[in-house]
Amino acid sequence: MMLEILVSLIVLTIAAALSYKDYRLSFILSLAAIIPVAASGNAIYSALIFGVALLNAFSLLVIRGNHIAGVDYAMIAIMCIATLYAFIATDLAVMLTLFVVVSVPTYLLIMVSDREMKVDVGIKYVTFMVIATVLFMIGAVLLYSVGVNSMIYSIAFLMLIVGLSMEVGIAPVHEWVPDVFSSADPIPVSIVASLAKFVPFIIAYKIIVATATPAIGPLILVVGLIAAASMFVGNIGALTTNDPSRILAYSTVANMGYILATFAAITAGKEYIYFAIAGGILQLFVNSFGKIGFFTSIKNGGTSPITAYLLTFSFIGLPPLMGFWSKLFIIYSLVFSSYIWLAVILVLNSAISVPYYVRLARLLGTGWKFSLANAVVLFASLAMLITLIPPTWFVDVMSMMRGV
Amino acid sequence: MTEGMIEELPMMGELLALLFFSPIIASFPIAIAWGIDPRPEWARKLPVLSVFGLFVSLCVALYILFNVGELSPEAEPIKYTVYWLPDFNINFVFIFDYLSKLMGALTAVIAFLIGVYGLEYMRDDYRLGWYWFFFNLFTASMLLVVYSDNLLMLLIGWEGLGIASWGLIGHWFRDDDELSYVGVLKRKVAGLNMFWSPSTGGWRAISTIRIGDMPMFFALGALFALTGNLNISEIPWAGLEEKIGVVGIVVLMAAFLMGPFTKSAQLPFSEWLMTAMTGPTTVSALLHSATMVAAGTYVFMRLSWYIQPWELHLEGYEYVYILVLFLGLISSLYAALVATSTRERKVLLAASTMSSLGLMFASAAASYWIGKFAVLVAFWYLITHAFAKATLFLVAGHLIHETHDRFLCGDMEVARKLKWAFVATVIATIFLSGIPPFTAYWVKSGMDGVMHHLEHEFGLLPLALLVTISAIYSGFLGKFLSMNFFKGKKVHLHLHGGGIMSTAYVLMVSMLIVILGLYLTSHEEPFVEFFHEGLLPSSFAVGLIVLVAYSIGLFKPQLESPIGQFFSDRMYVMFLNDYIVPKIGWAVAKVVDYGNMLIDFTCHQAIPQMFEVYSAGIRFVQNGSLERYLRIVIGFVMLIVVVAVAAGWIV
Repeated sequence: MMLEILVSLIVLTIAAALSYKDYRLSFILSLAAIIPVAASGNAIYSALIFGVALLNAFSLLVIRGNHIAGVDYAMIAIMCIATLYAFIATDLAVMLTLFVVVSVPTYLLIMVSDREMKVDVGIKYVTFMVIATVLFMIGAVLLYSVGVNSMIYSIAFLMLIVGLSMEVGIAPVHEWVPDVFSSADPIPVSIVASLAKFVPFIIAYKIIVATATPAIGPLILVVGLIAAASMFVGNIGALTTNDPSRILAYSTVANMGYILATFAAITAGKEYIYFAIAGGILQLFVNSFGKIGFFTSIKNGGTSPITAYLLTFSFIGLPPLMGFWSKLFIIYSLVFSSYIWLAVILVLNSAISVPYYVRLARLLGTGWKFSLANAVVLFASLAMLITLIPPTWFVDVMSMMRGV
Repeated sequence: MTEGMIEELPMMGELLALLFFSPIIASFPIAIAWGIDPRPEWARKLPVLSVFGLFVSLCVALYILFNVGELSPEAEPIKYTVYWLPDFNINFVFIFDYLSKLMGALTAVIAFLIGVYGLEYMRDDYRLGWYWFFFNLFTASMLLVVYSDNLLMLLIGWEGLGIASWGLIGHWFRDDDELSYVGVLKRKVAGLNMFWSPSTGGWRAISTIRIGDMPMFFALGALFALTGNLNISEIPWAGLEEKIGVVGIVVLMAAFLMGPFTKSAQLPFSEWLMTAMTGPTTVSALLHSATMVAAGTYVFMRLSWYIQPWELHLEGYEYVYILVLFLGLISSLYAALVATSTRERKVLLAASTMSSLGLMFASAAASYWIGKFAVLVAFWYLITHAFAKATLFLVAGHLIHETHDRFLCGDMEVARKLKWAFVATVIATIFLSGIPPFTAYWVKSGMDGVMHHLEHEFGLLPLALLVTISAIYSGFLGKFLSMNFFKGKKVHLHLHGGGIMSTAYVLMVSMLIVILGLYLTSHEEPFVEFFHEGLLPSSFAVGLIVLVAYSIGLFKPQLESPIGQFFSDRMYVMFLNDYIVPKIGWAVAKVVDYGNMLIDFTCHQAIPQMFEVYSAGIRFVQNGSLERYLRIVIGFVMLIVVVAVAAGWIV
């Protein structure tokens, strides 16, 4: 695979350089650069990630007056390649590198908007990301270097979790999420909320699977409590606001809480590990397509009620949409690893979330006009129908992930 | 059931289907015709079909009486099973024993005769479809109760009785005819109406009965859970007491008997029976003789027949039977006293029925100490009473028809003009009151003997009560005769037709003479024993007392007294139905209302407000200041370090 990556990077360099000539050339070359890596990895995983990246790239075309037009596509491509590579990476150094590679481009992307660069948003975001990266890395390195039965291990474990929490926006260190989501341009936010989320979780899964044992009960309890807190903060926070960006910000907090809950299942019971990981990653896909769809609708000033409700129902978790299966897998893994209370809280939170997702669909489902943004929304919502084929295939794909 | 028995019962399934379904199906034409177009002239001929359905039932019941097994109290019961849920041992089990065969025939005969009477009595009614459907459903339900061995199946018939009684008592639902009311219109006592309309009567009946049916239903469930068997003749009654103890038996049986007590209108559930008189007289006649109220005592007799408490001598059953004995006697005394002072024809008869039912319960309950003979006494009293009471009701209906007055009234002129009614009344009252040597005398003698035998357990109290009741009973029967045909106020008669009606009650009353013949000539048990008891001087003495009481009632039927008013107002038991129970009901409704308000408040105010507060609180953090956010983050990281150290300690 190293060869493919090398090829991709060369193509990307050319693409970035050509962007000074014409950003459209860069667009095409960037997406082409992903293909060698995508083709060499797991087909289904690659296709899904590539789909997310594609939607991100197309949505960036919507922004007029982009200061870094051309470079941004290359950054999407780099993030995509890193996410694809994360599937097979097992070496700690490589994984941490991927973490940084996915994280850094968003520092720049988040400032992109129609008019000027939004520097104040960027500062807030970057501050959080830097602290998150430091905590995550120290935690990861320490976990690999000390034994399970030591105090350093506990500190390292929780540092990793807190770092992850800050990176993806889990309560109570989620403060950047509502601010950035509602003040930055919707398109970069949709990238931060989708493509950037996979690598931190995949790497955290791999590190914890490699180092943890079921003996660390109290630490898992802390993780479960953080997850539960995040679900409640996210869902209740979103419940009474009418601003779509705010709703989506808190919805992200809640969704990240659902995914963090799978860490309890991973360490507690090894038998259901694939269901836990499949549930978590599938929930990331739900979140990605959903956020791309909704944020692009915000940018577009509304979309068709049908697509809006499709996204809403998937988030709520109605079968046979993707959001149903992801939650089912998570609940399944939690129940069978004896974290029933967490499963109950998850179900309860799903119920709490219903009103604001419906409100979101009402606010955004104002009417269909043909446009590029609407096409992105349409494809994002159609992606929710992938699970019309019951996604046991997704569990199989996850079981092929290296290092878990 | 053995294979051999199946062979003995050819075509039994078809016969039973005929027995139960022919009355119901035969009532469909009139019900449907009336439903489509009320009061067409041609539809008024359809009730003949309904009566024909009753006739088919009668034929089958008589066939069963004479052809299925031996007719003797000692004969082994014959059973016929239609499998329904064999895995749960719940099947349609029909039983043909001494009790069910006689009771079935009795029900069918009386229902048929009353049906014939009803052809004329109800001819001009405004609701014939309703009437005939429920009348025939009533009969079929009773037959189902009678022949059922399986309690669940019995319950189906039992509830059928309930719904049909509601339909029939409230038949004149418009409440527009003074003749159909009970009580003196516009009269009030302590703010309560002392008169009841047909719709009220129907409601009172069904509501009272349901109160008894609920515990009965639960008792049935408990029986099934404990024994896995619901066939009365197969439930291991003796083993049951070992299983659930004395208290368990008392609770279980008391819950079960709540059904019979309410159906048979024992104290304090008697009020509904009095206001059941708001229904058509045919309904009253059927309700009071062979169906409904008889169903309660009949079920108790059937239970006793198979529990055989006289063989068991178990403490739990003893308490239950003592309860039934005295409840029966006290209810009987109460009702007899009420009957003496009632001015309404049908209400008087209703009270007398309740009195008789009390005696049946008491006598059947005495079987715990006496044995099967006591049940037989109760059963034969039921049969004797059924014919007499049906006759009296039919006569009363005829009189109300002709005089347009539901109160006791009429003088010699009535006796002259309505000869057959007069004759039937004389025979029915004399034969029922226990004047020697007429029908009820022999069975009452048996009852005297039974109560006398209880001397060892309860002293002479039961016997004394029985004699008192018998005297009062015959007194008001004499009064009934006198006030309708001799000493009542003069009335204006509206004579029209009446041929079919008088034929029906003459036939009915003649059955009493047939039974008298049976008592005097039969060489079988229990008649020999009745005859033997009747020849005792003590029984004869009681008979004389009864005769004297009857004569007093006949010659001095009226006596002004404040106590009379108290009795006439049924000792104000209606306050239980019309005041206390509604008050309890309203209290419950109030509590439920508060519960509702609490739920409303929780769902519509408390929870939304709570979420609003928390939601705003969560978003309150976001004031845009990076400094504040970092403080939170650093604080959380430090907290986590502390937690990690603590966790590391534990790990």
